[in-house]
Amino acid sequence: MKHFSFTLSGRAGFVAATALLLNACAPGQDTPTPTAAIDLSHYLAVGDSYTAGFSAGGLTRTSQQYSFPNLMAQQFALASGGGSFTQPTLEAGTGTGYLNLLDFTATGQPRARRVAGAAVRRSVIDPAACGGPDTVRLFTRSATASALPQNLGVPGLKLSQIEVAGLGNETNATPGGAFNPYFERLLPAADSRTYLQAVTTAASSATFFTYFQGLDELMPYIRSGGTCGTVSTSLAETMKLNARKILDVLAANGRKGIIMRLPDIKTLPLLRQGQGKNVEARLQAFYHDNALIYIESPFVPGTSQPITDEDYILATALPRIGQLTPVQVGSSILMLPYGRDARNPIRNADVLEKASELNILTGIITTYNGGTSRALSLEGLAKLYKLPIVDPAQSLYTLDTGLLFTNVGNSVAIGGVVYSAEPVRGNFFSLDYYTLTPRGNALLANTCITAINRAYQANIPAVDVNKLPTTAQ
Amino acid sequence: MRQPFLFLIPVFCGLTASASGYDSGPQGARVLGLGGASTAYINSIAGMSTNPGLLGQWADSLTRVSIGGIGQIRRTSFVGQDTYQRTDQDLVVQPGGYLYATHALNKRVALGLAITTPYGYHTKWPSTWEGRSVIQESQLNTYFVQPTVGIRLNDNFSAGVGVVYAFGKYSQRRALGQYDDPNAQTQFSASGSGFGVNAGLYGRSGDNLSFGISYRSTVQLKMNNGTLTTTGVPTRDASLAPASSDFTTRVSMPSTLSVGIADHITKKLLLTFDFSLSGWSAVDSLKLNVAATGSTPARTQSSVRRYEDALSFRVGTEYQVNPKLTVLGGFHYDETPVRDEYINPEFLDANRVGVSAGLSYQLTSRLALEGAYSFDYGQLRTARVSQNDEKVSNVAGTYRLAVNTASVGLSVAF
Repeated sequence: MKHFSFTLSGRAGFVAATALLLNACAPGQDTPTPTAAIDLSHYLAVGDSYTAGFSAGGLTRTSQQYSFPNLMAQQFALASGGGSFTQPTLEAGTGTGYLNLLDFTATGQPRARRVAGAAVRRSVIDPAACGGPDTVRLFTRSATASALPQNLGVPGLKLSQIEVAGLGNETNATPGGAFNPYFERLLPAADSRTYLQAVTTAASSATFFTYFQGLDELMPYIRSGGTCGTVSTSLAETMKLNARKILDVLAANGRKGIIMRLPDIKTLPLLRQGQGKNVEARLQAFYHDNALIYIESPFVPGTSQPITDEDYILATALPRIGQLTPVQVGSSILMLPYGRDARNPIRNADVLEKASELNILTGIITTYNGGTSRALSLEGLAKLYKLPIVDPAQSLYTLDTGLLFTNVGNSVAIGGVVYSAEPVRGNFFSLDYYTLTPRGNALLANTCITAINRAYQANIPAVDVNKLPTTAQ
Repeated sequence: MRQPFLFLIPVFCGLTASASGYDSGPQGARVLGLGGASTAYINSIAGMSTNPGLLGQWADSLTRVSIGGIGQIRRTSFVGQDTYQRTDQDLVVQPGGYLYATHALNKRVALGLAITTPYGYHTKWPSTWEGRSVIQESQLNTYFVQPTVGIRLNDNFSAGVGVVYAFGKYSQRRALGQYDDPNAQTQFSASGSGFGVNAGLYGRSGDNLSFGISYRSTVQLKMNNGTLTTTGVPTRDASLAPASSDFTTRVSMPSTLSVGIADHITKKLLLTFDFSLSGWSAVDSLKLNVAATGSTPARTQSSVRRYEDALSFRVGTEYQVNPKLTVLGGFHYDETPVRDEYINPEFLDANRVGVSAGLSYQLTSRLALEGAYSFDYGQLRTARVSQNDEKVSNVAGTYRLAVNTASVGLSVAF
C-alpha cells in the first residue's frame, strides 16, 4: 500500500488549491463600471466658505482636503475622464486655526475653544469692526497663485463684492477696507483682479463647474443677530444679478455644470438649535420652572416681548441663556437670569427676530433660489443655460441642497450611522454651527454626484461617508 | 405517482409562503444527498428529526445509530448601490452535526433520540466593509435534543411524537461608525434554551408508495443572560454607551409543516418528494432589551425582520448501484422568508435553488459510511434603503448568496 504523505511543496500546493477552491465559494456579481459620460477632465468649483472647505470655524490644510469639491474630484478621478484637481492648499499648521470641542454644558450645549493658526504673514486689526475689534490675517500665498486653482471657493466672499477691484490686493488690507485675505492668497502678489475676472480666467480651461455661492453674503448679518449690516429685499436682486455675471461665464459655450441652491438658513444649527419655544421648553425642563423667554422688541426700544417659535436664538448664545447677569432695574442693580426674565431680555445681537430679520432673510434666499422677478433666479438661469433637470422629483434644474439639510435635520441613516443637525454628535455640521464636517461635506458631495449621475447619465461612484473623519482637525 | 402528488397541492393553495431562512439544511449525510426530501423516507433514521412518524418503522430487533458531522459555508457578495464597491463575506465554516439512535421496546413501540443542529448561521463581513456599522459579524448556533416515541399502528401506518429541548447561542458585533476610532464597536452575546414538540405520521399504500406528514412546532429560545460590551467610545459619550450592560432577547425558530411521498419506481430506484411550509412569520423583529447601567436608562434595540412564511419544494432520488453502494441525488427550491424591504446583511437570505449528491457505502453488513454535498445558489437581492428612516439601519446594494454544505457520517445497525 502506497503511503500517503505530503512533501512541503505538495502541502503548500494543497493549501493553495484548497484556498482557491474555497474562495470560489463567494458568488460573483457584476460591479458597475464607473463612467463620467461628460467631460470632467477640468473641474472648476466656484463658491464661498462651503466650497473652500471651511470647517469648525477655520480653514486648514485638512479641512481643505475634505472640501466637497475635492471629494467630488476624487470620485470623478475614479470614473473615466476625471482629471486632476488643484486646490489652494495651505501649509500644514497654517491657516485660521479652528474650534476644538472642550465639553458639554449641563444643558447639553457643546463648548469649544479656538486653536490658533500659525505662520500668518501679517495681521491687520480693525478696531471699529461691527461686533467688536476684528483681526484680518494675511496667509501665506498659495502655490497655485500663478495659475489660479480649480477650487475657487473663497470663505467670506460676498456675492456683492465680485466686481470689487483690489479685493485681493494686500494694499487694501486696511481697517475697514474691502479686502478678503482668502482671495488675496489665491492671486499673485499685488494683483487687483476682481473675483469675477479670476473666475473668467479660470473658466477658460474648465470643462465642468459647480456653483454654490451666496450664503456668505448673509452670514455676517445672521451671525451678528442682525446687528452687522443691513439686508433688504433689494439685496436679492443684487445677488441674482451678480450670480448671473458669474454663471454667464461658467455656463458659456454650453459648459456643463451643477448650480446649487442655498439651503434654508433655519436648517443650519446656528438657528435650528435655538428655535424659540424649543429652547424655552428645554430650559423649563432643566430648571423645573415655567419661566418664559423674552427678547428685545425690535420696534419699541427698551421693551421686551415673549419669544415665539419663529424667533431664533443664535446657537452661540445658548449657553448664556438663563445665566444670572446684572441688570439695572429702576435705581438698583439686580442679578436676573439672561432671557428668562422680562426685565433681562435676550439682546438683539443674540437672536434673529421673525418679522424684522428672519423673514427678510428667508425671502432673499427664496427669491435668489427660484423666485420670479425681473432678474433671473438660479433656477431661471439654469433653464436659460439649458442645463438638464437634476431633481426630477421637484422638476428642478438646480440642485436643492436644502433638501439634504432638511433631511439631516430630521436625521438620516447612512450605512447604519445616524447623521443629524446636532453639532458634534450629529457628525454633519461642524462646531461653528454652520459649515460642514468632512462627513457632512461627503454627504453634500454625494448629493451632487447623484445629481450629476441622474442629469448626465453618468456612473460616478459615491463616497463611503462613514470612512471619513468626523472632524477636519 | 401523479395522483397523490396532485392531492397535496390544495394543502398549500392560498398560502403566501416561502423555507430557507436560517435553517441549516437537512440533518444527516444521507438526507442531505437526497436534497432533504425525507418526510416519507425510511432508509435513514435521520428522517426522524423531520418526521417522528417514521420512527415506528424501525420497531424491529435492530438498534440503529447514525452519527456524523456537517460543515456549511454560507457566503454572500455585496455591491454597494452608490459606491460600486464589491465586498465578499469572509470565509467561515458553520459546524454542525447529528446523532440519531433508535431502539425498539417491542414490535409496536420504538424509542428514538435525535441530537441535531438544525438552525444557525455565521455571517462575517470584513471589519471595514461599507455596512460595518450595520453588522460585522453575527452568529447563531442551535442544538436540538429530541427524545421521540414511535408507534406502529398497523402494518401500514405508524405515528410518532418527540419533545424538543433546544439550546442556542447568539452573538453579534458591529462598528460604531459615528466615532473616528475604527475599533469602536458593540458586541452582543447571549445563550438560552426553549422547548418544542414534533409529531408525524407515516403510511404506506401498497408496496411501492408511501407518504408522510409532520408538524414541528415553533421553538423560542429565551436568552436572559446576554452581555453587551462597548469599546472605543470617547469619554464625552461614555454615559450614552456604558462599557458593559446586560440584555435579554428571544430568538424564534419557525414551525414547519411537511408533507412528503416516496415512490419505488423500480426495486432499486426510489423517488421522494417533499413540500414544507415554515412559519417564519414567528420572526418579527430582533429585540435586544438592554438593562439600565449606572446613569444610562434601560432601552430596547430593535431590528425589524418581519419574516413571512416560506415554502420549500424538494425532490430526491436514491439508486442502489450494487448491494454495497447506494447513490443519492436531489434538487430543492427554497423560498426565502426575508422580504425585499427588510433585507439585512446580518443574515442575508434569498430564494434559492440547490442540487445535492450523496452516497452510502456499506463497509460491513452493519456499518455504512455516508457522505453528501449540496450547493445552493440564491437569487440576486437588491436592498434599497430609505435614508430618512433612521430606525432601519441598513446599507443599500445588491447581494448574491451561495451555500455549500457537506456532511460525512456513519450508520450502524446491530
